Amino acid sequence: MSGRQRIDGQIAWVLHSYPYSETSLIIDVFSRDHGRLPLMARGARRPRSALRGVLQAFQPIELAWFGAGEVRTLAKAEWVGGMPLLGGAALMLGYYVNELLLKLLPREDAHPALFDAYAASLQALSRGEAHESRLRLFEKTLLKELGYGLALERDAASGEPVLAGRHYQYLIERGPVEASSLPDAPEGAPVRSIRGKTLLDLAQDDYSDAQTLVESKALMRRLINHHLAGQPLQSRRVFIELQEL
Amino acid sequence: MSSSAGSSGGAIGRSLGSSLGRSLGTLDKLIEALRCLPGVGPKSAQRMAYHLLQRERLAAAQLADALSEALQRIVHCQRCNTFTEAEICDRCASGKRDPSLLCVVEMPVDLNMMEQTHAYMGLYYVLMGRLSPLDGIGPKELRLDRLIERATDGVVREVIMATNFTNEGEATAHYLSELLHARGLKVSRIARGLPVGGELEFTDAGTIAQAMFERRDY
Repeated sequence: MSGRQRIDGQIAWVLHSYPYSETSLIIDVFSRDHGRLPLMARGARRPRSALRGVLQAFQPIELAWFGAGEVRTLAKAEWVGGMPLLGGAALMLGYYVNELLLKLLPREDAHPALFDAYAASLQALSRGEAHESRLRLFEKTLLKELGYGLALERDAASGEPVLAGRHYQYLIERGPVEASSLPDAPEGAPVRSIRGKTLLDLAQDDYSDAQTLVESKALMRRLINHHLAGQPLQSRRVFIELQEL
Repeated sequence: MSSSAGSSGGAIGRSLGSSLGRSLGTLDKLIEALRCLPGVGPKSAQRMAYHLLQRERLAAAQLADALSEALQRIVHCQRCNTFTEAEICDRCASGKRDPSLLCVVEMPVDLNMMEQTHAYMGLYYVLMGRLSPLDGIGPKELRLDRLIERATDGVVREVIMATNFTNEGEATAHYLSELLHARGLKVSRIARGLPVGGELEFTDAGTIAQAMFERRDY
């Protein structure tokens, strides 16, 4: 293993934190070169700890840590900044994105491309830019980096290119199959078909079509639920409950 | 793979005391019970139990009495939700407060701090927590319906959000303000920025950056 090596100068984001013992904090961080890992921040909950403001989620920070066990020890944390804090509705989207990483990303797997997508998403959220397309882009990168990349441009049954004017069923872990070629709804409840145009737009990251946004949201939700394997998303539940009040 | 991805640091060291599966003796029960206190792990709980039984038997009896009495008598104020022995706490019952102002804070300690300022003469609502989606704390857990009911009594005109300037505090303030705006109430948020007497040179960069983002006309 890596021994008691010290890692310095890592740009990272806090995904979530848990109080630990009287004055410490365990932070679950997502770093560019070391992936997601837990760190023990000793004394971070003391009243005058300088770490209090720094170890907040949704802001880039620069970290140093050491140790060899499952939970390394935080040595240093510095504020990097460069973006406003998330506010309003963007906060709930931030929680959703963080929860996806906490539940789907295995520990200590470096994913620099996903890290960059995460950083770009949060920057965009903090500037109040188009939330929906940002989330789809992030979800797509997440699935791809986890090894569940989407097949969007070819019919999984016939091998023919997907055509914008046709309708498809998206079969999980296979890809799109032209709807008319399927005799019955596969595996249980019928799934709404999806336009070829939506699949092609999604492949190009073009979310300018309102129908594309609606259909790609439904598709992504199905895929993500599948990979969550029954784990409920708390952020989604809280968001829905807030809408109901 | 996903099972390791979902594990949380909060469970570390949780099951040291009761992993043997046999029924707990009286001493073990006490140690287990003490672990409900924040920041108390199996080691500290054991130390506390021995200390109480060995050196502080009288104090332990007083603690037991005080606890059971508090549990019986202390309830949440029907108006502000803070702890009180009466149905309605003294502050809410006092006629000297401005009932058209309602200040929302997270915890009773926040209320105490606000009172120390002598800057506010309205009434309060204590949430007893904050929205924290990743910990599973949503509007149902916080009983936000009760706050909405309280704020829409027809007397309150302005609701002041004094939740913390953490992400959770901000999320709480944001959603509450949307819910209360929709019901025709004026909602404000306490200001944030440099502390009184604060000098840029000695202030953390995050605070200064946010103060710059949120600068106002002057």
